[in-house]
Amino acid sequence: MAVPLKYNWRSLWVRWRSTAATVLSMGLVVGVFVMVLALAHGLTATYLETGDARNLIVFRKGSLAESSSQITLEEVRRTRYLDGIERDAQGEPRASAEMIILITLPRQSGGKAHVQVRGVGPQGLGLRPQMRLTQGRMFRPGMRECVVSENLARRFADCQLEARFRSGKTTWHVVGLFEADQTAYDSEIWVDVDEAREAFNRAFYSSLLVRTTGAVAAEGVVERIEVDPLMRLRAVPEPEYFREQTKTAQPIRVLGLGLAVLMSLGAAFAAMNTLYASVAARAREIGTLRVLGFRPATIYWSFMLESLMVAALGGVVGCLLALPLHGIATGTFNWATFAEVAFEFRITPGLLAGGLGFALLMGAVGGALPARRAARKPLLAALRAE
Amino acid sequence: MTLPGLIVRNALRNRRRVMLTVSSMALSLLLLTLLEVLLKGLTDPEGSVAGAERVAVRHSVSLANMLPAKYQARLERLPGVSRCTKLLWFGGIYQDPKNFFPQFACDADALFEVLTEARIDEAQRRQFLEERTACVAGARTAARFGWRLGERIRLLGAMWPANLELTLRGIYSGTFDDAMLFFHHEYLDEMLGDLGFTGLFWVRADSAARVPELIERIDIEFRNSDAETKTETEQAFALGFVSMLGNLKLLIRSISTVIVFTLVLVTAGTMSMAVRERTREVAILKALGFRTWRVFALILGESVGLALAGGLIGCLGAWGLLRAVDLYRLSGGLFVSFELTPGILAGGLLVAGLLGVGGCLIPAYGACRSGVVAGLTRPD
Repeated sequence: MAVPLKYNWRSLWVRWRSTAATVLSMGLVVGVFVMVLALAHGLTATYLETGDARNLIVFRKGSLAESSSQITLEEVRRTRYLDGIERDAQGEPRASAEMIILITLPRQSGGKAHVQVRGVGPQGLGLRPQMRLTQGRMFRPGMRECVVSENLARRFADCQLEARFRSGKTTWHVVGLFEADQTAYDSEIWVDVDEAREAFNRAFYSSLLVRTTGAVAAEGVVERIEVDPLMRLRAVPEPEYFREQTKTAQPIRVLGLGLAVLMSLGAAFAAMNTLYASVAARAREIGTLRVLGFRPATIYWSFMLESLMVAALGGVVGCLLALPLHGIATGTFNWATFAEVAFEFRITPGLLAGGLGFALLMGAVGGALPARRAARKPLLAALRAE
Repeated sequence: MTLPGLIVRNALRNRRRVMLTVSSMALSLLLLTLLEVLLKGLTDPEGSVAGAERVAVRHSVSLANMLPAKYQARLERLPGVSRCTKLLWFGGIYQDPKNFFPQFACDADALFEVLTEARIDEAQRRQFLEERTACVAGARTAARFGWRLGERIRLLGAMWPANLELTLRGIYSGTFDDAMLFFHHEYLDEMLGDLGFTGLFWVRADSAARVPELIERIDIEFRNSDAETKTETEQAFALGFVSMLGNLKLLIRSISTVIVFTLVLVTAGTMSMAVRERTREVAILKALGFRTWRVFALILGESVGLALAGGLIGCLGAWGLLRAVDLYRLSGGLFVSFELTPGILAGGLLVAGLLGVGGCLIPAYGACRSGVVAGLTRPD
């Protein structure tokens, strides 16, 4: 027969101060664990959710990102009319030749960062259904107008609606704000592509986004671009292109796991300490349990469960501590594009379960030795303990 | 028995507890120290003495915008400029994208007059000058890939449509990271069909004192041109990169705060356990005539001693770890300098000491206040 759980629960209450200290210290460790992983998760999700499987990004072979690619006007012309690319009602191919420029803008909180400006063609908006204007209107070509993502507007100076910012010799007027469903586009400023080429003095485009009519057609287009000897281009499905960039989150993940392991070892030692003390203080109780007929194995599991109970409480506290972070926007530097990427902390049920599991692991590590000690206590000595 | 002797005896009576407390403290202090080193390495790039008279001239829009190569002649004519080289970030791939290290096209003849702190064998430097496809690499990068002089280095152009076939002719050292590879700008120009532009200019001023006015003079010189410039000291330039990393400082600081707070809980927990065990002893000490402050000192000494022991082990651990592990190589050349400065070490020990004090206050207060009779008659 198992020792009633009530016994453990009450024991925890009797020593509520040390229980609270253990719960809180485990909770803090779990909180940090969840926080850092939520950061990495938010960053990864930003890229994973960007892109439509029917879209292909065409850029120069050898480039790792759009921002370092150059394609010529001629290459754009040759690619646009390939078979398998969807046409709109007017018979125009649904393709947008685009240009990426990095500009330096001051942050609202001080300091400066690179921001990605995307010059888009007339079809660019239609190819990205996740993109939605929330305030103001779309830019008009030729008027030095731009639209800015809400994320950037919040983080950078002079990027709010109706504000003007200067870059090089041009002053841009923010006429609209947009949102793009937490995708990579949420870290961009959009302008007209040909206006951007003129303002930033570029002869080339960076990339071409095309909408194919289906998966089979997409393969055909990829193949044809690949083998064309006149062009040194590569076409990649849009989701795949952005999946590559999830690597940006890797250092954060490594940092988070490293931190978590070290911190949790420290916390497990502390928990072990508390439980040892509690086993020592309850020597006579343990002896009594044995006399009543509880077997050592039962006592072992009873103490183990007690440790797990504390850990579970700590895990819940940690998750609750981290939860308010959900949705908080932040930003970091993407090494692939060399620009700021804005994203949100994302706490998912899976992440919370991970935090809880992590806490239980700490509880198991911290509880195993003291529980063994409790189980192996010699009966007579235990009863005679003061 | 002296007071310190009593403290030591007391601390060691429950060896397991001492060990657990000290290990927990040591691990946390190790982490705290590492975080501090990381923070310092990222936010406080080292400005070398030679770097103080060097400025970087880039396009005012951003680093990714190119400057006309012809600016060089105008820069060299400006008073206060001693020497100047073009620099273009090549960003090529050596064997595998993971093998990241900085690669620059430069003016071979001016390079070592601008990068004055770099030491290179004169014969090697001359060989580098004579050969168009030659390159020089920092000692650290050369060691990382096991390069010898004469090594063939093939860089695939990820940013530029050109693949370079370079020959290593020199290895320099003495710069802050010794990681960069330099090759002839002319070679890249030839591969790309005469670019006519470059990424940035590295300018060495006559003297460090004249740098502020030189910065102004350069930016004025190119104002209202097609490509306006932004000139910064090397340190400001490096800090610009740090600022792009985002609010790392806040993240690391908040994690550190959480660790410290957790530690307060751990120390307080341990000390109250230790004190609770000894309620009767404390009462006996008081009955023997020990003053309250002595009882207090007893507990304080034990707590601070344990915390400092843990702190010392943690800091030494961090020091050993940083020496044993090549963070530079581990991070693929991203993190350059990580140094455990005496300041960080002292800070860690100070935190440990304060934790010892903070953790014992409540239990010690309780022990000091408890009455002799109550303590002696307590059943447990």
